[in-house]
Amino acid sequence: MKELLEKIFENIYSNGLSEERYCDIKEFISEKLISEYNDYVMNREIVAKNKVNTLDIVLPNAKVGDYYSQLLKIEDEEIIEYWIEGLKKTGLEVVSEIVLDFQKEDNTMVQGSANLEVFDNDNIECQKQVIGTKNKGLVIKGNPIMSGDFDLTLKYKYKGWFDGCNILERKLRFAINPDPRSLWKDIPTDKNIKFYKDDFVSEYVTVLANDKGLQKDIVAASKRGRSHAHEGKARDDDFKLYHNDENGWYIIAVADGAGSAKYSRKGSEIACETSVEYCKQALQMPTELEETILELSKAEEGYSNRSISTLIYNIIGGAAHKAHRAILDVVKANEDQVRDYATTLLLAICKKFDFGWFVASFWVGDGAMCIYDKERQYIKLLGTPDGGEYAGQTRFLTMPEIFTPESIMSRLKYSIEEDFSALILMTDGVSDPFFETDANLNKVEKWNELWENINKEVDLTDDNSESKNQLLNWLDFWSAGNHDDRTIAILY
Amino acid sequence: MRRLPVYLLLDTSGSMYGEPIEAVKNGVQVLVSTLRQDPYALETAYLSIITFDSSAQQIVPLTELSTFQQPNIEANGCTALGEALALLAAKVDMEVTKTTAEVKGDWKPLVFIMTDGEPTDDLNKGLAEFKKRKFGMVVACAAGQGANTDTLKKITECVVQLDTADSATIKSFFKWVSASVSAGSMKVEETCKDVGGLSELPPPPPEVNIVV
Repeated sequence: MKELLEKIFENIYSNGLSEERYCDIKEFISEKLISEYNDYVMNREIVAKNKVNTLDIVLPNAKVGDYYSQLLKIEDEEIIEYWIEGLKKTGLEVVSEIVLDFQKEDNTMVQGSANLEVFDNDNIECQKQVIGTKNKGLVIKGNPIMSGDFDLTLKYKYKGWFDGCNILERKLRFAINPDPRSLWKDIPTDKNIKFYKDDFVSEYVTVLANDKGLQKDIVAASKRGRSHAHEGKARDDDFKLYHNDENGWYIIAVADGAGSAKYSRKGSEIACETSVEYCKQALQMPTELEETILELSKAEEGYSNRSISTLIYNIIGGAAHKAHRAILDVVKANEDQVRDYATTLLLAICKKFDFGWFVASFWVGDGAMCIYDKERQYIKLLGTPDGGEYAGQTRFLTMPEIFTPESIMSRLKYSIEEDFSALILMTDGVSDPFFETDANLNKVEKWNELWENINKEVDLTDDNSESKNQLLNWLDFWSAGNHDDRTIAILY
Repeated sequence: MRRLPVYLLLDTSGSMYGEPIEAVKNGVQVLVSTLRQDPYALETAYLSIITFDSSAQQIVPLTELSTFQQPNIEANGCTALGEALALLAAKVDMEVTKTTAEVKGDWKPLVFIMTDGEPTDDLNKGLAEFKKRKFGMVVACAAGQGANTDTLKKITECVVQLDTADSATIKSFFKWVSASVSAGSMKVEETCKDVGGLSELPPPPPEVNIVV
C-alpha cells in the first residue's frame, strides 16, 4: 500500500513533495477510502436487508394446546445463516429441518456453525441457537403454552459477513390463539336471584321389568349453556319426567325459556311442572282413552278417529293451556310482563299396549321431538318446529295465538308404533348443533349421527341409572358458536 | 355454524400517508388481538379487509380470527370509494353463506368504512350495487375534516366523524370497532337475531362523534 502511494506521488509530484503535504494527502486519502468502504459495507447490508424484508415469510397462527410445526427456510445465496429469537415464552422450540437428500446438505456450513452461542433476550443465559442455512431450514415446533401476539426476531448473516459486521434482523409477528374453551368462564348462578334454578340437573326414571318383559326407562339432563355460564346467568331450560307405575303411562316435558326473556327460567319451569301435573291427573284412570286407543289399533291405516283427537285435544291440549294459564297467573302475581316468561314446550305422553306403543304429543317453539328406531332406520318427527325462515322467530307457549283450536290441533300429534329405539325430546341447544336446520330434522342419517354420538358416552342399557350422569357429561359436547342451554330427555 | 362476517373498508389514498396509515395498521392489529381474547368473537366473527386508493382490492379475504394474518397496508393514490362498495357487494355474494333448507346461513355482515376524503370515482355505481345487498349494520367513519359526512350519509344512516386523523383518535375508533364486533358476536349468539342499528353497539368514545 505504502509503495503504491509513493509511486503515485512520484508520478504526480515529480518535483518532490514536502513532508507536510505528504501527510495531509495521506490523511485525506485514508478518510476518503474509509468513508467509501463504510458506504460499501452499508450497501451490502441494505441489499441483504431489502432481500430479507421482501421475502414472503409467514408463520401461520398457532393455538394453545395444539401441536405446531412450521418450516422456515430462506433459500437465498446471499443469506448464509439465520436463526430465530423470542420463542422462549411460547413453549415452542426451533430444530433443524431434516433434509433427506444428503447430497444437497450444506455440510461445511452446518458443521462449522451449527451451534452458535448467542445472547437470547428472553433468557439471561447463553443458549445454543439452531442455525438455518440455504439448504437446511428451521422448524418451529412444539405445544404452545401461552396465547398472545409475540414479536419474534429473525436474525441473519449475509454473504461476506465476518466477525465484527452487524448481525441483521427482521421482526416477525407471531400469534398464538387461546383455546376458545379456556376463555369461557363458569360462574355459578347467584342463589339469591328471583326464581333461582340449579345450573344443571339430571334425572333417571327406572321402570322395572314385569311379566311383559323389559320396560323402557327415561333419562334426562339439562345444563346451562356456555354463554350463560360465562356471565353467571341462570339456566333457562327445564324438563319434567313422570311414570305411572300402576298403569304404565309415561309423561315427558321439555321446555326452553327464551334467551331474551328476563324470567323465562320460571316460564319453562311452570310449563313443565304444570303440563306434566295436568297429564298425570288426566291419566290416572284413562279408561275411555285406552279403549279408544285399542279401537284405533285395530283400525286400518289412514283411518281417522275423531274421538281420539278429541281426547288428545282435551288431555294434552288441556295440559298446554293449563301451563299457559299458570304462567299468566305468576305474571299477574309478580306484576311482570308475559313476554318475560316466554318459553317453548315439548310434551309427550305414551304407553305400551299389547299391540305396541301409543304416543301423543304437543309441540310449541323450536327444538325437536322424534320417535327414532335404529333397526328400521325409521324416524317420526312429532310435529314441526316453529322456526320460520329466520332463526329466532319461534313461537312461545306464552302467546295467546297458540291456543286457537286450529293452532292446538296442528300442534298435537298421535301415533301408533310397533316399537322404537327411543323417543327423544330436546331443546334447540342440542338440536341446533346436530341438525342445524329444520329440513335436516327429517333426515334419518342426522338422527343416526346423534344417536351414535350419545351412545359413545352414555350407556343406555335397561335400568342403568348411572346414565343420567353420563348424559349430563355428554351435554358438554363442543360445538363452536353453539352456546345455548342444552336439555335432552330420552325414553328408551 | 353461523358466522358473523365483518368487512373493514379502509381508505389507503395518498392523504392517509404517514401517521394516519400507521395508526390504521396498528388499529387493525389491536382489533384482531383484542377480538381473539373474546370467546364469542373468536368463535363467531370472521374478518375481511378491503382497501381503496386509486382502485379497490380485498387484501384479506373473509378469514377466521384465529388464522388472520396482519396484511401490509400502504397509502398512495386517490379515493375509489365507489369501486370499494362494488367490490364489497361482489365479495359478500361470494363469501357470505345464504340460508337454505339444509344450511343455516351466516349472520348479516357488519361493515365499517373509514375514509379521510371525498370519493374520486363514481360513487353512485358502486352504491347501487351495495344497496342491493343486505347488511346487519354499516358504519361509515369520516376521519378528519377532509371527508364529507353528507356523502357518507348516502351509504348509511350510521355516520361517525373523527375530529382529526391523528394516531390517538384513529386508535380509539378501532377500539370502538373492536368493542362493537364483540357486542355484535354476543348479540347474535344470545338473541339469535342480526345486529340492526347503532343503538345495539357500545357507545362510541368521545373522539368518535355520531353525525346526526
